[in-house]
Amino acid sequence: MALIEVERPETEVKEERQEPVRVRGLPFFPHFVLREVVVMCIIAGSLVLLASVYPAGLLEPADPFDTPSPIFPEWYFLYVFGFLKFWTWDIGPVPAKIIGVTVPMVLWYGLLMLVPFIDRNPSTDIRKRKVAVTLGVIALLGVLFFTYYSIVFH
Amino acid sequence: MDLADKIYKWLDDRFKLRELLPPIVKHPAPENVISNPLYCLGGTAFLCFLILVVTGIFLAMYYKPTPEEAYKSVEHIMTEVPFGSLIRSMHHWAANVMIAAVMLHMIRIYFMGAYKKPRELNWVVGIFLLLITTTFGFSGYLLPWDQLAFWATKIGTGIAGSIPVMGEYISLILMGESDIGAETLTRFFALHVLILPATIVALLGLHFMMVRIQGISGRL
Repeated sequence: MALIEVERPETEVKEERQEPVRVRGLPFFPHFVLREVVVMCIIAGSLVLLASVYPAGLLEPADPFDTPSPIFPEWYFLYVFGFLKFWTWDIGPVPAKIIGVTVPMVLWYGLLMLVPFIDRNPSTDIRKRKVAVTLGVIALLGVLFFTYYSIVFH
Repeated sequence: MDLADKIYKWLDDRFKLRELLPPIVKHPAPENVISNPLYCLGGTAFLCFLILVVTGIFLAMYYKPTPEEAYKSVEHIMTEVPFGSLIRSMHHWAANVMIAAVMLHMIRIYFMGAYKKPRELNWVVGIFLLLITTTFGFSGYLLPWDQLAFWATKIGTGIAGSIPVMGEYISLILMGESDIGAETLTRFFALHVLILPATIVALLGLHFMMVRIQGISGRL
């Protein structure tokens, strides 16, 4: 009993502190949950439809002695493939192939992880974040371009 | 007092539901989050994950991860197992939609600046989730053991293998031998159904807990 009495005032104090920070909104249940259920029904329905109309494919069994052509990796790795094809220049002692592999995999993911630590601008207003938005658009167009490049110049 | 009330009371006596539930149920969600469809992307990715778990379990009941049996077992799933074709196609599509949803979710977070203080670490966890999701895709691609699976994996492991310093080890860890073979298939299978699921569940828990603690970044 003593333990409960000691703990209670603490939780009450915490709740009071949090109150002014909270954004005004609708309760999680049922409003938020209802929207989620509606979205989930739409997505699940679309997946059943896609799966029925376009079933997953299965080609010939794997044959290590017969290289098919063309070979495409999954669409979300195409940009790596495209960059590797695009970059043909050695930089000093570093061969082009090493750069072609390191930039889209190691450097790209490294940069992505550091985004919140590079962008120290506290504003979330898109008009006050011109540099971040410009760089984001360039990165996006870059990934799209190299994806396109890998398909066209196969 | 009907049955539902009785069950509620029985559980309440044991788990103090009266104290546990209101903070979850009544927790306010910002109004613009409910009305703006861009906020659905993370939830969409999670739903796809749940579908992948369920369909993946069914596929694992019939799939055999050896070079001799893999292709035949997938063929068996596609032609003979009841609803096998639908389950495998659902798995295929949910995987692609999940990756697209994760990427779009990340793009939304970036352009809305939702990764800013205090949510920096949740962004980092998100990048790890993106990495795990694409690794899921990569490891799952080999499992049907058809021509596309084999040769796309050959290119993929080749590219991973030419990363400076770590590449050689990554490629050896992934393939288990010098070329893609029986060892590679069982490794990719273990990665796809054991290692990655355990990792993604832990990281998803962390991701959602942080959202809960820090709230959804409200301003547009």
